[in-house]
Amino acid sequence: MKTLLIAIFLIIAPVFAVHAQQDSRIQMSTLDHLASKASQTVDVNIDERLMRLASRVFDDKDEDEREVKKLVANLKGVYVKSFEFEAEGQYTAADIEPIRTQLRGPGWTRLVNVTSKKKGMLEVYLLFNGDVVGGLAVLHTDDKELTVVNIVGPVDVDKLAKLEGQLGIPDLGIGSPKNKKNDDEK
Amino acid sequence: MKAIATKLLVVAIIFTTANAAPAKGDDFNSVVKMIEQFYRVKHVGIPFLAKAGMKIGTTAARIKGGQARRIAEAGSIKLAVFEDQEFNGDFIKFRASLNEALNATWMPLIQTISAQDQEQVYIFLKDAGDKVNVLVITIEQRDATVVQVTLSPKNLALLLKDPEGTGKSITQEATINDQE
Repeated sequence: MKTLLIAIFLIIAPVFAVHAQQDSRIQMSTLDHLASKASQTVDVNIDERLMRLASRVFDDKDEDEREVKKLVANLKGVYVKSFEFEAEGQYTAADIEPIRTQLRGPGWTRLVNVTSKKKGMLEVYLLFNGDVVGGLAVLHTDDKELTVVNIVGPVDVDKLAKLEGQLGIPDLGIGSPKNKKNDDEK
Repeated sequence: MKAIATKLLVVAIIFTTANAAPAKGDDFNSVVKMIEQFYRVKHVGIPFLAKAGMKIGTTAARIKGGQARRIAEAGSIKLAVFEDQEFNGDFIKFRASLNEALNATWMPLIQTISAQDQEQVYIFLKDAGDKVNVLVITIEQRDATVVQVTLSPKNLALLLKDPEGTGKSITQEATINDQE
C-alpha cells in the first residue's frame, strides 16, 4: 500500500510542479484594435518552435551570433506588439489596463531604476518562479507610441540590452537595472 | 453492374484525393488566390521562375557591386507579382484571414502594417529539415508580391536577427528584373 502511495505521488508531483510555475506569456490580443488607429503596427511572434529553430541556426564561430545563441538558448518565446500613432491620445490607459492587470498578477515584479534613451515611460517587469526568472515584459508608453515586449523563459536581465534590435525586439535603449526588485510595487 | 459501379467509385475517390492534395499543400498558391479574392486583383504570371531564380543572384551581386550574397537557395524562388492595381480593403480583416489560413502549417514571424503608407508586410516560416521555407507577402498601395524561398541556416540567422530588413531583401532579390 505504501509503495502504491509513493508511486502515485511520484506520478502526480511533476504535474503539480508544472502548474506551480507561472506562465510568463502575456496575452496582448486586447491591443489588436489599436491597429486601425495606428500609422504603423509591428507584430512579432517567435514561439517555442521558432526559438528552437533560432537556437539551431546561430553560428558559434561568429561572436555576435554566439552571444545571441546563448541568450535565446532556453527561451520559449519572444512576442512584440508595437504601435505608432500620427496624433496624441489615440490610446488610453484603459487600452493598456488588460496588460497591466496581468503584470500585477502573482510572481510579476517591476524593476526600478531602468533607464531608457527613448522618450516616454519605460517599465520592465520580471516574473519570478522562486528565485529563477521565468520571463520578462517591457511596456513602453509615449504620447504617440506604445510597445509591449514579452520574453518567455529564463532571461538574463543584465543582457537584455544585447537582445534589442535582434529577433524583432525594438531598440528601446534599455540600460541595466540597478536594483532587481521594487518592493513598493508589491 | 455492381462491380463496374464499385470501380467507378474507386476511380472517383482516387481522382478527388489526387486533385485535393496539391491544393491543400500549396500554401503559396492559396495566398495568391486569397489576395486576388480579397482585393479583387489579378497577379501577373511569370514564366521560367526557377531559371529567373538562378539569374537573380548574379544580377543582385552585379547591382550591389559584386559583393552582395544571395539570400534564397538557388532555384527555390516562387514569385507572384500584382502590378498597378487597387489594394483597397480592411487590412485588419485581411491579416486575420491570412493568419487563419496559414497558422496550421506556417509560423508567423513578423507582421508590419503601415496605415500611413498603406503597406503591409507579412513573413511566415516553415521548417524544411536542414533548411527553412520563408513566405514574404508585401502589399502596397498599388502593387503586391508574394515570394516563397528556401533559406539556409546561415541566412535564416540573418532573417531572425533582422526580420524586417532581411524580409525586404528577399523580396528585392526575387523581383530584380534581370533585363535591367
